[in-house]
Amino acid sequence: MNESLHVSSQFDEDLGRLRTHVLQMGGLVETQISAAIDAYTTGEVASVKTIVETDRKVNDLEKAIDDDCAHIIAKRQPTASDLRLVLGISKIVTDLERAGDEAKKIAKGVRRIYEAGHMPAQYGVGIRHLAEAALTMVRQALDAFARLDGTLAVSVIRADADVDVEFKSIIRQLITHMMEDPRTITTSIDIISISRAIERIGDHAKNISEQVIFVVEGRDIRHNKEAIK
Amino acid sequence: MQRALFYGVLTAAIAFPLGYFVEQWMGWVLFYTGLSLHLAMHYRNFSRLERWSRKPVLDASLEGDGEWDRVFRRLYRHEKELLEKIERRERDIARLIAAVHAMNDGIVLLDGEFRIQFCNKTAERQLDLASVTDRGAPIANIVRQPAFIDYLAKADFSRPLVLRLDRYFERVLSLYLIAYAENHWLLQVKDITQTDRLDGMRRDFVANVSHELRTPLTVLSGFVETLQEIDVDTESRQHYLQLMGEQSQRMQSIVQDLLTLSSIESAPPPEDQQVDMATLVDKLRRDAEALSAGRHRILLESEGQGDLLGSESELVSALANLVSNAVRYTPAGGSITLIWKISAAGAEFAVQDTGIGIDPKHIPRLTERFYRVDRGRSRDAGGTGLGLAIVKHSLSRHQATLEITSKPGEGSRFAAKFPSSRVTGV
Repeated sequence: MNESLHVSSQFDEDLGRLRTHVLQMGGLVETQISAAIDAYTTGEVASVKTIVETDRKVNDLEKAIDDDCAHIIAKRQPTASDLRLVLGISKIVTDLERAGDEAKKIAKGVRRIYEAGHMPAQYGVGIRHLAEAALTMVRQALDAFARLDGTLAVSVIRADADVDVEFKSIIRQLITHMMEDPRTITTSIDIISISRAIERIGDHAKNISEQVIFVVEGRDIRHNKEAIK
Repeated sequence: MQRALFYGVLTAAIAFPLGYFVEQWMGWVLFYTGLSLHLAMHYRNFSRLERWSRKPVLDASLEGDGEWDRVFRRLYRHEKELLEKIERRERDIARLIAAVHAMNDGIVLLDGEFRIQFCNKTAERQLDLASVTDRGAPIANIVRQPAFIDYLAKADFSRPLVLRLDRYFERVLSLYLIAYAENHWLLQVKDITQTDRLDGMRRDFVANVSHELRTPLTVLSGFVETLQEIDVDTESRQHYLQLMGEQSQRMQSIVQDLLTLSSIESAPPPEDQQVDMATLVDKLRRDAEALSAGRHRILLESEGQGDLLGSESELVSALANLVSNAVRYTPAGGSITLIWKISAAGAEFAVQDTGIGIDPKHIPRLTERFYRVDRGRSRDAGGTGLGLAIVKHSLSRHQATLEITSKPGEGSRFAAKFPSSRVTGV
């Protein structure tokens, strides 16, 4: 009796540690994204290097967490909510890693723009606003995961629609710029790819929230618009 | 106790002579009946006590017979005292917790594994914790900044950790981790955003003064050297001297502005004279037209009649500064609107332009000394970098506030708002 109690609390500890690792990885990705946005507004391209380096750490963590998930499944054969947690985590880390990649893309785009001697601020598009919205989504998705809060996760999923709308309006604005003055095309394309990356970060945050809902409530709401209404 | 004993002895004392002298069986019957009654009384009281002990609430109606009543009353008193003591303790604890919640610093109590056990309201706000749902969760799950996680992992808490959070808005926190009790940690969080900003401002100020004065000085000394060492013709000499004059003029205006600023800061509050605002606003409009020299459209919107109480010279310099800024930062062809509104509730002087606008992130720092959005451009426009600092100080001496709203590319609006106590003659 005592033995099995000990084993299961050891298991709980393993799961707890796994969650903390995921959130630690999330913290790294959050800083990557906010550093990338800062680089965009301030033009301090020195931070691009740190962002790229952090990406390596994120990748290592992804592999380590995936390994741990496989170990837990093989050794402990979790069931019900524990199994959902492990499965959810292995999907969440994939999305986190991709969000980190997008941050890296933003950083590199920023470097390209500034090294070419252009100022993205002159284009006057609401990139910063878009980026902050996406970053908030990532934060809230991770908070929802940390607190296993399904309600918060649902609100993140809803926020994604706003980010998409904003992204589209930025694209329209840039198209107008490019039509008016072809000299802006190079930078505009860079800004488009940056905003695309930001929009993708929002999508990843949404995917993470879907996994959180799966972990908490056991329903799979992917590709199901009705489920969150 | 004695009474119970006395009752037993009494029963025996009556039963024994009865059995001995009358009928033996009668004695026995009486003896047993007496004892049984006695036992039944005890049993009844015992079952009351037993019932009560199953759910020991404070109950004054618990009454017993004879000796039992005294026991019950003692129990009641004891229970009551205990409850009062617990209530007092609870009140004390609640007060302590309320005090911890009222603290300006964030307090988070952590166990040996850095799991959250308690956090006060300030900490909730600072670190975005939720005291109810986050209890028992590792703090690293919520405060995910890599710097914080490294700090915990390194386990060297001799120095506080300075953490920059950009959640919602830029905040700088200083975190101390203090060991307490056995294997517990107290995390103290101080918000040092203000001091951090002040430190930055002081550093910037010294660097800026030196820089602002050095630039014209370099030009000056360069020309002096040239004139000393090389024979130049009169025409070049005139040109050099003119440039030198400009630079020394520039230095002079910087020093002048610095002196103005420090005199405003240290001088006693201005005497309240009645300032004729209609004339003043009209003068500001004419100044703007003169400065613009026909490059902008200058409009004046005036609403209400009345004057301000304050120092005329300080008001003129502050408001004229706003007007001249608008003229300088609005490209030719734009329009500048001076708006003057006064009523018994207060007054507002605003300058609205269609100029280049200001990025929102610069706005909170605009009134800092030498703060420049774009270094090169504002110096070309002839500013010393102290104008808005002087404006803000002069206005605050009149209990007025400076409100800046702006959109890059669309223009800015600088508004000086005066409280009703400064309005007269409405």
